[in-house]
Amino acid sequence: MSASPVARQAVAQAQPQSIPRRIQINSPAEMPHDYSTTPGGTMFSTTPGGTRIIYERTFLLQMRNSPLAKSPPKNLPVIPGVTAKDDAVVHRENGTIPEEPEKTEAVEGDQFEMDL
Amino acid sequence: MSTAVNKYDVLKSNDDSGEEDNGSRDMKDKPLPQVEVKPGEHPLQYTYSLWFSRRAPGKQATTQNYDQNLQLLARFASVEQFWGYYSRCLRPVDLPSHSDIHIFKDGIKPMWEDSANKNGGKWIVRLRKGLASRCWENMILAMLGEQFMVGDEICGAVISVRFQEDIISVWNRTAQDSITTGKIRDTLKRVLNLPPTTVMEYKTHNDSLKHTHSASSLLRKPGLPMRHDLLH
Repeated sequence: MSASPVARQAVAQAQPQSIPRRIQINSPAEMPHDYSTTPGGTMFSTTPGGTRIIYERTFLLQMRNSPLAKSPPKNLPVIPGVTAKDDAVVHRENGTIPEEPEKTEAVEGDQFEMDL
Repeated sequence: MSTAVNKYDVLKSNDDSGEEDNGSRDMKDKPLPQVEVKPGEHPLQYTYSLWFSRRAPGKQATTQNYDQNLQLLARFASVEQFWGYYSRCLRPVDLPSHSDIHIFKDGIKPMWEDSANKNGGKWIVRLRKGLASRCWENMILAMLGEQFMVGDEICGAVISVRFQEDIISVWNRTAQDSITTGKIRDTLKRVLNLPPTTVMEYKTHNDSLKHTHSASSLLRKPGLPMRHDLLH
């Protein structure tokens, strides 16, 4: 019921604080970008298949430029016109592409008959 | 056999496509090893395979040459691995016509005949030129991020680069499950941010197969009927 003397004293001495601000959201575009996400993705435990690893689009896009995502993948066959042989044809919005060590040797000549 | 077989085919095992088809040459018989998620990476709900195929212009697509043209490029199980591969693949806008990129759950081959697909179907979204790269990326991110909320129903997605349009297809396991297909449609509309005039069509793989003969006879009689899952 009544607060303890210590608590009452604390209340009396407390500095006035502003009430937490309420932000009115009028459209989905105004939602905070990290709404409903937690670092490393959001776990939902209520989906029919049990727990699932959910990632929002904005989170995935942020991961695009993480150092781990930039390390050159192994074993991606180099196919002219399909996969990147060198940095020039790789699309990435930000940052640079690290050197690819031990690139698998591309088979010489065209893989496909290009007829554009 | 057709001439336009790419040279990587020599890296694959022998051509003995008279067998019932279970997985590709790349996946023949033995399942591929698990894809490792390294410390610090963000695991995906599923492991996925990235496939590429390109039909030789002017050729009718048959089951056999469709199968032969399918090439497994990469497998990934984490967000970081996905970006590593995706960033090194050309975007749909830069691919030549008749190219298909397929991202399917590991173990599901992007063919109607796969056991995961045989009772399934696909949503087909036809895009006018210029939209494909953005829509495809949004499509993949929604799939990898489990935005569809339909349990295990999603099998994979395909972007088909064609002469006058590009086509995104989303394959699911159970064509008769209208709740699931409805959810997939609604999620697609939301995540692709499609123009309001975009037409979406659902097609069961069974209907697609009816345009041909049975799958197994196709595999034994190469070069005859046309495959319609290639969408022109």
